Amino acid sequence: MSVWEIISIVACSLFVIGVITSRVVKRIKGKPTCDCGCDCAHCSGCYHSKVDKTKKDN
Amino acid sequence: MKKIVLAGNPNCGKTTLFNSLTGSTAHVGNWPGVTVDKRDGVYKKTPENVAIIDLPGIYSLSPYTPEEIISRNYILYEKPDCIINIVDSTNLERNLYLTTQLLETDVPVVVALNMIDVVNKNGDKIDVKALEDKLGVPVVAISALKEKGLKELMDKAYEESRVVREGTTVLTDTPLARLIDDVKTALKKQNVENPLFHAIKLVENDSMELNTHKETAPMVEEFKKTFEDNTFGKDFEAIIADGRYKYISKNFAQTVTKKEKDKLKMTPSDKADKVLTHKIWGIPIFLLVLFAIFHLTFAEDFLYLGAIFNFPTLEELGLLTEDGEPINFGVQLLSTFYDGQIASPGIFIDHIWNDLIIGNLFGWLGGLVEDSSLSQWAIGLINNGILEGIAAVLSFLPCILTLFLFFSILEDSGYMARIAFILDKMFRRFGLSGRAFMPMIMGFGCSVPAMINTRTLADDKERTATVRVIPFFSCGAKLPILTAVAGAIVVYFGVGNADLITYGMYLLGIVAAIASVLLMRSTSLKGETPPFIMELPSYHTPQFKNLMAHLWDKGKHFVKKAFTIIIASTIVIWLLSHFSFAWQFLEDEQINDSILADVSKFVQPLFTPLGFGSQLGQYGWVFVVAVVAGLIAKENVIATFATLAACLTAVVGMDFGELAIDAEDGIDAVQSMIMATGITIPALISFIAFNMTTIPCFAAVGTAKAELGNKKSFKGTLLFWFLSSYIIGAMVYTVGSWWWTTFIWTLAIAITVMGIVFRNKHNKVGRNQL
Repeated sequence: MSVWEIISIVACSLFVIGVITSRVVKRIKGKPTCDCGCDCAHCSGCYHSKVDKTKKDN
Repeated sequence: MKKIVLAGNPNCGKTTLFNSLTGSTAHVGNWPGVTVDKRDGVYKKTPENVAIIDLPGIYSLSPYTPEEIISRNYILYEKPDCIINIVDSTNLERNLYLTTQLLETDVPVVVALNMIDVVNKNGDKIDVKALEDKLGVPVVAISALKEKGLKELMDKAYEESRVVREGTTVLTDTPLARLIDDVKTALKKQNVENPLFHAIKLVENDSMELNTHKETAPMVEEFKKTFEDNTFGKDFEAIIADGRYKYISKNFAQTVTKKEKDKLKMTPSDKADKVLTHKIWGIPIFLLVLFAIFHLTFAEDFLYLGAIFNFPTLEELGLLTEDGEPINFGVQLLSTFYDGQIASPGIFIDHIWNDLIIGNLFGWLGGLVEDSSLSQWAIGLINNGILEGIAAVLSFLPCILTLFLFFSILEDSGYMARIAFILDKMFRRFGLSGRAFMPMIMGFGCSVPAMINTRTLADDKERTATVRVIPFFSCGAKLPILTAVAGAIVVYFGVGNADLITYGMYLLGIVAAIASVLLMRSTSLKGETPPFIMELPSYHTPQFKNLMAHLWDKGKHFVKKAFTIIIASTIVIWLLSHFSFAWQFLEDEQINDSILADVSKFVQPLFTPLGFGSQLGQYGWVFVVAVVAGLIAKENVIATFATLAACLTAVVGMDFGELAIDAEDGIDAVQSMIMATGITIPALISFIAFNMTTIPCFAAVGTAKAELGNKKSFKGTLLFWFLSSYIIGAMVYTVGSWWWTTFIWTLAIAITVMGIVFRNKHNKVGRNQL
């Protein structure tokens, strides 16, 4: 196995692990995992899901 | 850091101002309810940096919907240093209703008269000084869009943020003034912040206040027993609202000088509305507009000119070599928009991108890897596992951007809000209000923000029903599936038009959504349809800056996804398709012994009724892999095809070169799947329909879970998504394959409808007897 092949395997593994880890971390932090970077359209709302659902009567 | 909040009515330009002040690119739309949550940024041109908080639009501080509660709570409990109350100058009196409430808090207020340029253009005038005197707080005329008056506004807001202010009210002349004063004094003794505001809300019977200030509530109740208004009786909310409006019309009407106008003369907006919101023609016009968009984006034969005039092809003109390649670069450029037919703008951009950029770039990269000294498996991993998967996904970027450019134009012009209005009558029959249309149409972009936008719906059951059908509105990520499969049908089988198939599938999604809502609102989610009141914004020419911001958002999101989750997924898929359970490396030809094949074959029979199950033979499992990979991100469906295409080529000995198939193009990747499995057209359409309506990507599933709130409802939603997509897929496949099954499906639907009607009638009789 050449050096380049080892580098390919390591890079691919690190990449996959990195993507999965970043998603897990985002989820733990309560941020959206849709890759919008929290600055697209309306996504700042994602992590405020537990809003007070109290509504006005009448 | 000081906190300055932007508060105002929906669609008055808060987010436009926020973007101008902070340099952000938050989504701006010409319809009320775009912003459903607070967002913050920093303004740096004051002596010290200040935080700017953009709040969802509200008509008053008595909230009904979750996003209105966010605004009220922020103003009252997050201790902002100043409120910039953005007022739509073209509709001053109505906007000042909220202003009168904001003034009742102890927070310093600066009023920003937005859209003053439009007022001036109309020939009207607003006396800013007089308004300032009446309100008792600074007033600054601005144009958020043209970025005029913003420096002065921020300087005033910064100055005000340093002073201590006590709330004032315009209700001093109402019969409730004394009661308000007494309650305020009582609250003040309890050290309640913003006592005047809370006192008025208590008198108004605001349920949130009654729950918070239980000690003071009896005092108000005692007074109410002895009070009766001649007009409103004991409706204290109405008495206070009336007091505010009377004050506004008495004191502020004189600050506005309107140009003498012919009252009978219709404005251009009115004239357009007469046609576009017509009670009969409104919906057909909408469908026509939608078709025009799809035609402009996906049609190979623009306006069907090629079919009408029978233009000569490049081959007939002798402009291609014997291999079918253009004879020179000029002909290659010509081929991007002409080859016996004229390409639509979307397809023209698509050809430029794919033929000249993606094809060459990824072809060159692939060649470099191929020529390297790496072993075959490493070349396979990089070329098939990474490059082809990513190229197949990126090949759809032009179509996605073109489609969303048109959608953004509709949104920014104000037409989308009209569609909500014209659909209200139809939606109401199915148990939804027209307001529910706005999140649904946002679903064409992405299900995540669309589900969040359902917060603007006041009724929980309506909200649940809307969240459930949002994935039926095909999002940008599903577009590659639609385009690639539709394109492959046209190219491989030589039938239909890609634009018509794509348009048809979008319509199928809409019809499925309506049928599902009808079913839910007649069974598990029964309830009253809430009233729908929406202010129709004026039509205006879409802003170039906004359109580009929307496209940038969409493009960035798509590319980022392609270079993260899609690459990661294709690497995993490649590995699983090249290793056995014994962890032995497999050549492309041995793909059927891979982990991926073994696991997928186990699930394959489940999809037999949908046309892409056991009947597809030994390689049919690739469709199962694509469906499952699509749960991570829908772009994965085509990336999976592209990754596996090379293996299938090796297995079945297909000659891509002869058939001009190149797996770097998503359409070609689907063609290789068709050749390897022998899948039929109805099964392919069923595959699209299933993917369009099934469980969306993980991000959307997570959002649905958060938005729905309770576990039972979420589990029901997951089941609903799977079952509905399964039934729709099976219906499409069976009807497409055997026309007579139409009668069976019709009978099944009729029995279901009758069953529901009978059940509802029976329950109604039962309740009446009780």
